[in-house]
Parts: sequence; structure tokens; C-alpha cells
Amino acid sequence: MMTLIIGGSGSGKSAYAEDYLSDISKNSRKYYLATMQAFDMEGRMKIEKHRKMRNGKGFHTIEQPMDIDTALNEMEEPKESAALLECISNLTANEMFSGEQAKDSREVTEKIVNGVKQLKEKLNHLVIVSNNVFEDGIRYDETTMEYIKAMGMINERLAAMADQVIEVVVGIPVAVKKGN
Amino acid sequence: MKLVIGGYSQGKLGVVLSNYKEEEVEVFDGLLPPDEEQLTKTVIINHFHNWVRNRLLQEKKPEAEIESYLKKHPQTIIISDEIGNGIVPVDAFEREYRERTGRILVNLAKQADEVVRVICGIGQKIK
Repeated sequence: MMTLIIGGSGSGKSAYAEDYLSDISKNSRKYYLATMQAFDMEGRMKIEKHRKMRNGKGFHTIEQPMDIDTALNEMEEPKESAALLECISNLTANEMFSGEQAKDSREVTEKIVNGVKQLKEKLNHLVIVSNNVFEDGIRYDETTMEYIKAMGMINERLAAMADQVIEVVVGIPVAVKKGN
Repeated sequence: MKLVIGGYSQGKLGVVLSNYKEEEVEVFDGLLPPDEEQLTKTVIINHFHNWVRNRLLQEKKPEAEIESYLKKHPQTIIISDEIGNGIVPVDAFEREYRERTGRILVNLAKQADEVVRVICGIGQKIK
């Protein structure tokens, strides 16, 4: 089963996603697929904050800033496990901007969607967190617009694959797509 | 009239087109159909916010123009980006564009028979 959780920054989507995964996975093994790379103090503090939030919730953290499906190699019995992938915005940025030149939005979309497909097939539960970065109406530089476009396409494809899509607004879950 | 709203790159046009056959609709990108054009197909005005922006850049009055257009063509489908969920822009024109587009969309939503909000390629009927 797969669930996509989307929300704005500071919307409470991460906390919601962690509780949601804990609820549905019951006593099975839980993995946290961390995508953020820390480049500075602020990044390290953010990672530390999220680690503290997860403390005591029983997650095994796998650092996977790129090539998301390779996280499967670190898992024991994925078919019996649940994983939380957080988040699509970091993963997209890492895939897009890690080379000499920024990659094309379609190439990045295909790579991430295929990686998620692998995870979905092999895991019992997969929960993915993504960000709503599409509604400020600002025209950024071309590279940034390409990045936002990639995230839009990825979200749309993941939503189509997902059994549930939930938007978190001020910490409150709003159903966008309802599964059985 | 139907109004479809949602963020950038959310698949809004795709959601609208999935309800029609290709030959049933005509899509206008960031503009209103010219007056003289005789249209038998359902008109979709895509990227409506770009039209508003261009009218403002030309110092026209998009509020009055869209109102009179819709009086003559009440069966139109209007698709616009949500542009209001960010920080208030420093630039005066950007502020005016955002504010006036928002007000125009509120008015359109009031008149609309149906309002759909699209996120992640999924349409939710909010009116």
C-alpha cells in the first residue's frame, strides 16, 4: 500500500506522516528514508530536529539522498516492513543538481518515479512526504522553474500510483484521494 | 462557467481535458478568444492568470473585460494558477498582480457553476 502526504512548510506533514506510518504498520519493522544532505549548521539542526521527533517511534534510518530504490539493499524483509520516504523536494533537488549541469525535469521525474515504483512493489507499506511549493505565483529563474515543474510532475505521477493522497493543512489531514 | 484553480505544474489542463473529447474543445493559452471568432466548441481559457498579468502590464481593466466576455459567453471554462500562497512580493506591480488576480478569481468563483481545485493531478470539486 502506498500513501502520498503533501503539505506546505511547517504544516505538520512530517509529524503526521510519522504517526500515520506508525498506525498502519503496527508492530512491523519501520524504516525512515532520509534524503536531506546537510551542507551547513541550519541543515544539521533541521536533521537533528527531525531525528528527535522520530525518537522513540522505532524507526531505522537509512540515509538515501539519491537513487532511492537502492535503500532496499539495506532492508531486511522489505515485504514485512513499512517505510517513510521524506521528502520528494530534497530527493528531486539532489537528483537534479548533483552533477555538473542541472538535469532535465523529465529525466529526473522518470528516475524518481521508477525508484518509488520499486519501493512500492517490494515494501508492505510506503508513505511518501512531498511539499506544496506551487502556489506562490512567483516566476523564479529558469532552473528553479524547471525544478518546480519536475516536482509537480513527480507529485502527479506518485498521486496516480498511490492508494491514498492526503493534504496536511495546519496539522489537519484532508483527504485528496481515498483508498479502500 | 467553470473555474479550475491550482498550483503551478499540477496537471489542471489534464484534469479538464479528461472530461472531453479532443474535438469538442478549443484551448486558448493566456488569452480570451477574439470577438469575431465564431466558436462552436467549448472554450477553455488556460493560464488565465497570465492574461490578467498582461492586461495589467498594458494598464487595462481585466475585471471589466472578463465580466463582459462572460456575459456573452457564459459556457467558458477558465483555468488559473493559484498565485496567492506565498510571501507578499516587495515589488509594487507584483503585489498588485497578485491581489487583483485573487480578487478576480474570487468573483469568478462566485459566478461559477462549478469550482475545481487541482493538486497532484487530482481535481476536488470545492463548489
